[in-house]
Amino acid sequence: MSQGASILKSNRKNFLYGAGLAAFAVLPWMLGVYNQHVLIVCLFYTMMAASWNLIAGYTGQISFGHAAFAGIGAYVSGILAVKAGLNPWVGVAAGTVAAAFFGLLVGLLCLRMGGIYLSLTTLGFSEILHIIINNEYEITRGTMGLQVPGLTTSYSKISYFYIFLVGAVITLTIVYKLVHSNVGLNFRAVQNDERAASALGVDVVRTRLLAFTVSSALAGMAGALFGHYMMLITPHIPSLDQQFLVLSMTVIGGLGSFVGPVIGAFCLEILSEYIRAWGEYHVLVFGLVALVVARFAPKGLVGIYKAWRGKKRPETA
Amino acid sequence: MAREDDLKLVQGVGITKRFGGVQALSDVDFEVEKGTIVGLIGPNGAGKTTLFNIVAGAIAPSSGVVRFQGEDITGWSAYKVCRRGIARTFQVTRPFGEMTCLENVAVGVVNRQPGCRRSQWTALAAECLEAVGLRDLAATEARHLNVVQKKRLEIARALATRPELLMLDEVLGGLNSQEIQEAVAFIQGLRDQRRLTILWIEHVMGAIMQATEKVIVLDQGKILTTGTPTEVVNDPRVIHAYLGD
Repeated sequence: MSQGASILKSNRKNFLYGAGLAAFAVLPWMLGVYNQHVLIVCLFYTMMAASWNLIAGYTGQISFGHAAFAGIGAYVSGILAVKAGLNPWVGVAAGTVAAAFFGLLVGLLCLRMGGIYLSLTTLGFSEILHIIINNEYEITRGTMGLQVPGLTTSYSKISYFYIFLVGAVITLTIVYKLVHSNVGLNFRAVQNDERAASALGVDVVRTRLLAFTVSSALAGMAGALFGHYMMLITPHIPSLDQQFLVLSMTVIGGLGSFVGPVIGAFCLEILSEYIRAWGEYHVLVFGLVALVVARFAPKGLVGIYKAWRGKKRPETA
Repeated sequence: MAREDDLKLVQGVGITKRFGGVQALSDVDFEVEKGTIVGLIGPNGAGKTTLFNIVAGAIAPSSGVVRFQGEDITGWSAYKVCRRGIARTFQVTRPFGEMTCLENVAVGVVNRQPGCRRSQWTALAAECLEAVGLRDLAATEARHLNVVQKKRLEIARALATRPELLMLDEVLGGLNSQEIQEAVAFIQGLRDQRRLTILWIEHVMGAIMQATEKVIVLDQGKILTTGTPTEVVNDPRVIHAYLGD
């Protein structure tokens, strides 16, 4: 392909993305309050799934602590607002930093060992956090939930929609920039073959640590925003239910692809609104579907679409 | 004395490696002089790849010292050894299967030249692919390559790290005699044009005879002998080690 044609194609792609985003941005004006709420939750899960994809999809390390880091972001921000009277926006920033700090700490502990150790450690970390939140009733209000102030002076779904839209765009931009930088080459090299990567000068431990810290920080930001939106922070945010929901969204959408987690987040969140009557069983169903997808279509919906398009137009494959 | 040390690019002293009860290497001393091509040969299980892994930092020796340009690099991590100027290929190739050939090579470029731009690493990586004749496959994912192409990709990646010492681990496997001739000329060309020093494990004796100035023979984890290719192939101990009684 000539350079001119390739620029034209990339301009067209950017234009389509821009138009899609603009159309999406006016969407809430045409919807009722309930559907506005669903869109906001979709955007929250987009942030969660896209940031989990950074560590799981691009460096191949499975963290079970993503919901826990969202919980750290939410509780740090909420507690600062309630106990210290801090502005919630400052709280969101503090929650993000706190999640990054704990991510770095957990990462330093176990990323050197690689393999399954991050999964085991984050699983344990997640449970410990859960126990602390449930028992430190004085500070966290336990399972009753912590009532926190909102982010805006007058409550409107529309303004929260835009806050979450900006949050999702920031998250996706950071992921995109990282993956398409020199560091992104290292991410993928580490995922493909650690030994070959280190023989080519890649500092494997540092590469994983960077991905994990950024991923955890973004989860912290998503959790903090979500807490202030709900105005009630419960131990459900850092629960394993949430963790497996985010995992299912990413795997079903397409692990290691840029748009995969976005598609997964929207599909599964909207679907779970319809099957709400089943109670918490829907997470179980999503988990089973994710298992099947991981086994038979490891690149998720995005992979299936690409394979289908490749078959239709083999000359472009 | 100082001058003599300058000539030794890599030096191993008393290198010993035990894997549990197995003695893979015992008290191995060797030297590779700057600007030479040195062959490392020996029967299967002699410890050649273990010695490679120790020099490259993939594993640490149980005892002994590795020096590179006079500096003690024993036990350094593989990525530090690479950044210091030692590149290696893998006998069983290890391509990044889901990355394109260009991206495979680019990993080597960006870690030796941090902060280089996409346009820069694209050009440098393309140049390395050109050198091994894989330019046309730049946009192909590495998992689609055949065995011979994967071996070439290993060399291109190693070159991308701008090494002073290049360690090749059986890169001629799967080639016919015509292709072996071309490969030998290519490797000699690398030494001459890029002023590399090459340590080369190879089973194809014809190539070793033709290309190397010095041959180190390992047998059962010990140095059997060291000498010019002609000396080595005429040494009865070497013939004995390969053919047995």
